[in-house]
Amino acid sequence: MNKISKEELQKIVGSIPLLSASASQLLQLTAKPDHELMDVISLVKTDANLTARVLKVVNSAAFALISSVSSIDRAISYLGERIVVSIAIGDCAGKLFEKELAGYEAAGGDLWKHDLRTAIAAREVVVQSSAEISSDLAFTAGLLHDIGKALISDYLQDSAPEAIGLITSQDSKDYLEAEEQIVGFDHTQAGYELAKAWQLPEELTEVIRYHHNPAEAAEAHRELVYAVHLGDNIAMMGGFGTGSDSMQYRLDANYSDYFNLSPKTLANIMLTVDMEFEKLGYSLGNTEGAE
Amino acid sequence: MMGQVILGVGDYGASSQLGEEVKTYALGSCVSVIFLDPKTRTVGMVHVALPDSSINKNKAQEKPGYFADTGIPALLQTMSRYGCDKRGKGLVVKLCGGANVMDTNDTFMIGKRNALAIKKILWSYGMGAVSEDLGGNFSRTVSISVETGQVTLSSPGRPNWLL
Repeated sequence: MNKISKEELQKIVGSIPLLSASASQLLQLTAKPDHELMDVISLVKTDANLTARVLKVVNSAAFALISSVSSIDRAISYLGERIVVSIAIGDCAGKLFEKELAGYEAAGGDLWKHDLRTAIAAREVVVQSSAEISSDLAFTAGLLHDIGKALISDYLQDSAPEAIGLITSQDSKDYLEAEEQIVGFDHTQAGYELAKAWQLPEELTEVIRYHHNPAEAAEAHRELVYAVHLGDNIAMMGGFGTGSDSMQYRLDANYSDYFNLSPKTLANIMLTVDMEFEKLGYSLGNTEGAE
Repeated sequence: MMGQVILGVGDYGASSQLGEEVKTYALGSCVSVIFLDPKTRTVGMVHVALPDSSINKNKAQEKPGYFADTGIPALLQTMSRYGCDKRGKGLVVKLCGGANVMDTNDTFMIGKRNALAIKKILWSYGMGAVSEDLGGNFSRTVSISVETGQVTLSSPGRPNWLL
């Protein structure tokens, strides 16, 4: 299998369209701990397409509102910033998320479903363990955590049996190491390069880079990285991985320094993820809901 | 194209239609309980997500297959409509799924807790699995042929295998 050189990786990253100005600003804004919903509303209003999409989603059948919402202020207050962020990301990077991940033997759309489940789960981890970090930011970070898979998947074509073999023979400790052994980069390294090109806030780049090795993340963002680490594992356990790598990663049990999860809380989180996914999946129009 | 009964998370169903297959996708920590009735040639399956319905009674009412303790009785009831024994007498039982992520801790061992809860409930009916493929750290897709009763498992990047 051909390894990807550093130059090639930069070329791949360069071939991915940049985020729209409003999506990019939205990600910057919502990563700030002291931002207000009013700021989100003002920002969305500067983008007519995004405004139209937000109104379409709030009026979709999934939210079952009695009367239709025509004011963008009301729509955003109702949906919450995390859904607005999902719409913005889906609008400008939807193709990337919908891409068939041939290298992982996963169908088109599987990445988006996995990311959405991870986002919901990461948020629930924060909410249900009463952690103090932003649950909405955990959601956004969950959406973006695996973006690197879309970059390296084509290069991993037909490598799944080899990757699984490397893990089974303990030559790789997990799928991440197998990716690096096979194509020279793993999906977190590739995703990190794209995150830099997209000028994502540091909170999000740390999640993209370290969601499988949260202990290595910068201390200031480690709690958020652990939240997505757990969300990712919960998504895979729920049957929504991205193909051949599903569950082939290691859980870092030191999450317990940040989150107090009992088996019962975890069961509740898994149940909530199923229910929320059904609702959001339909309303965002990017998935067919749970299988 | 062969007829298919596709079961999602928390769904259960049965078929005795020759040529049909009963299928569920990507079991992670979920466990599939499979009942085969040689007498009526009925195949049934429930896709269980969690061990115990006490965490959410409403969900259990709406989707009994979601939990081990409500899913197995629900599947037995459905299969009785196909002429199978109500208490599961004579049914062949197979189990698969219940995977865990690598280096899992006790809290995250939902796959194992699902399998244990299911076995406990099966024992209460005097039933036990003739074959099982549980645990490990990979996802499983299951399909059962009604005609032959053959249970085929698959996982991306691995050759298919039989249960």
